[in-house]
Amino acid sequence: MQTATTDGRSGVHACAIPASDEQLWEMTAAFVTAGLTAGEQVVYFDDGTVDAVLERLVDDRVPVHGPLSDGQLTVVGAAQTRQVVRGPVRDAAVLLADMIDRAVGAGYPGFRMTGQWSSGLVRGDGISLADYDAALDTVLTGRPARVLCLYDRHRFPDDAIEQLRFRHRIELDAPALYDDNLLRITRTAPFRMRLAGEVDHSNRPVVLRMVAATLDEALRSHSAPTTLEFDLSSLRFLDGAGAIGLVHAAEGFPESQRLALHGVRPGVARILDRCGAPFAAQLDVTPHHGEFADDGFGDGVAPALPGGRR
Amino acid sequence: MRVETTRSAGVVRLRHGAGFTSSADDVAAQAAPLVAAARTRGEPVALAVRPATAAALEDMLARTAPVTAPTTGPFAAAPGPPVLLCGPEGPDRSGQTLAARWACELRTLTRTRGGVTVIVEHDGALDGIDGRFWTELDAALNVALTDLAATVVCLYPQLPLHLEVAEGARRNHPLLLVDGALRQNPAHREPRDVLAARGAPAPALLGPPDRRIGFDTWQLAAVRDGVAQAARAAGCDRDRVDDLVLAVNEVATNAVEHGSGDAHLDVWTGDAVRELVCEVHDGGALRDPLPGLRAPHPSDPRGRGLWIARQLCDLLHVWSDAAGTHVRIRALP
Repeated sequence: MQTATTDGRSGVHACAIPASDEQLWEMTAAFVTAGLTAGEQVVYFDDGTVDAVLERLVDDRVPVHGPLSDGQLTVVGAAQTRQVVRGPVRDAAVLLADMIDRAVGAGYPGFRMTGQWSSGLVRGDGISLADYDAALDTVLTGRPARVLCLYDRHRFPDDAIEQLRFRHRIELDAPALYDDNLLRITRTAPFRMRLAGEVDHSNRPVVLRMVAATLDEALRSHSAPTTLEFDLSSLRFLDGAGAIGLVHAAEGFPESQRLALHGVRPGVARILDRCGAPFAAQLDVTPHHGEFADDGFGDGVAPALPGGRR
Repeated sequence: MRVETTRSAGVVRLRHGAGFTSSADDVAAQAAPLVAAARTRGEPVALAVRPATAAALEDMLARTAPVTAPTTGPFAAAPGPPVLLCGPEGPDRSGQTLAARWACELRTLTRTRGGVTVIVEHDGALDGIDGRFWTELDAALNVALTDLAATVVCLYPQLPLHLEVAEGARRNHPLLLVDGALRQNPAHREPRDVLAARGAPAPALLGPPDRRIGFDTWQLAAVRDGVAQAARAAGCDRDRVDDLVLAVNEVATNAVEHGSGDAHLDVWTGDAVRELVCEVHDGGALRDPLPGLRAPHPSDPRGRGLWIARQLCDLLHVWSDAAGTHVRIRALP
C-alpha cells in the first residue's frame, strides 16, 4: 500500500483513515479544493457531515458559493446517499458511471467524489462496502475520475477499516503535530501552525508548549521570520486560561519576535479581548474572514460558518 | 528595553458602613445628610432603597439649599439626580450576583466622577428563610467593591425579623454610622471569616434536571455541547451561545481542577424555559467563598474564569455544603 501526502490528486481510487473529525474535515476539504481548483466537478455524498466540510472550506478560504450555485460542487443529500450505499452494487456503479460521463459531457476536465458512506456498514444482506470498492475500480477504469473513500475511526469499526483499506492501492495521509480528537495542530509552513477544534483544560498545556517550542526554534534559526504565525480559522473554542496563556506568551516574547493569531473567530476573539490581547504589544490578532450571517445557501447545504458549529 | 509593571497589593478604597434605624422615617433621616454631603462634594449618589425612601430623600433634597458643587477640578459639574441601582432579578436571590452587578454599575459611575456615595436599605422581602441574603450581599460588596472609591452605607432595622440580618451587618461592615458619622466597627470580620460561619445560602430547589452530564477533565467538550444545545433551545443567538458556553466551561473547568473529580452538569430545558438554567456540582471544598467577584491582576495566569463567567451570566450563585461545591447559572437570551 502506498502512503501519499494529501494533495488530493495522487490516485484514482484512494482511501484515507482519519483519526479524528478535524482530520476528516481537513482531508475532505483538501480533496474537494483540489478538484475545484482543477476545474473538475466535485460530488460530496452527505450523511450529516456536509456542514462541517463546507465550514472547513470557508476556513480554508475556498470559494464555495459559486461552485454550489453552478453545480461544480454538488452535495448529494443524506437520504440519497444512504439509498446508494444500501442499494444494489450494480445500481451504484451505474449511477457513478452516469455521473462521471455527464460531468465529462458538460465540459468538466475531470470528476471527483467523496463523502460519508458509513451508513453502508449497517446493511444485513451480506454485501459490504468492499464490494462497492471493487465495483468502483471497474467504473473508474478509463474514466477521468478520482474517488476518495473516507473511513474515519469515529464512524467505522477497526476491523471494517482494516478490511477496506486493503482494497485501495493508495492511502492518503495528513500528518499532524498533535491530534487528540478535540484539537488538531498541523504545521502549514515553517513557523506557521494551524489549530483546528477546541482548546480547553485537557489540551491547553499542549498549545502553550507548542508556542514556546516554536519560539525556541525560531530563536535558534538564522532564517526564521520575526513573527510566529498561528492560524486559528478552524479553532471553535478557546477557554479563558488558554487565552491568558497566549497573551502572556506573546508578552514574554523577546522584542525581536511577535506572535500573530490569524483567522480568529468572533467567540475566540472576545475571550482574547477579555484577557488583555489588545494590550499585548507583541500580539497581533486578525479576525476570521468568513461571513457570519445567513448567506442564502438554502436546501440544507448551507455551510455552518464560523460559530455555527461548535 | 521592556519596563515590566510591578505588582502591588490592592488598595482598599471602599468605605462600607452600617447604620441601624428605628423606623422608615429614620431611614430617610439618617440617609439624607449623607446624600446631601455627597452632592456638596459633587459626587454622584446611588440608591438601593425602597421607593418610599427614594421619594422621601428626593423631597428632602429638593427642600434643602441647591447643590454648591465645586466650580473647578474634576468634580466641577453638578451631580445629576440619584441613580437607582438594580435589584435582584429572576426567581433566585443571590447576594453575590447582586454585588457583582452593582460593582459593574458603580464602576461606570466612578469612571468619570471619581467617587460615589451609595445608600442601601434593608428590604425584608429579600430576607429569604433566614436573612442570610444580606450577610452574603455585604460580604460580597466588601470583595467586589474593595478597590472602588465608594462610600456604601447600609441601613438596617434595629430589630429585624431575622437575627442574622443584624448580626451579619455587625460582622460585615468595617464602619458603623453613629450620630451621622462613620466610625470604626470593632466587630468587623473579613468576608472569608464571616462566610465561614454561615456561607452563601443554597437557592431554591429546581426539581429534577432535564439532562445530567457527568464529566471530568477530558469530557468538558460534552459539557459545552450540552450547554450550547440548551442555550440555542432558550433562544440565544450565536454570539450569546458562544459566550454562555464559555461561561459554563469556565465553571466546569474549576470543578474538575479544584473539585473531587466527580463533577456533573444539570441542565433544565423545555419549551417553557426561555433562559439557560444549569448547575455545576462537584465534591470539592470551596476555598474562596466568593470567587470571581474581582478581576484578577492582568499578570495572574489563572483566576479569571469565574470573573468572566459572572460578567456573561445574569445569575451566577456559588454555594457549598457537605456534598461539595455548587454553582447555579441563569442567563437570558
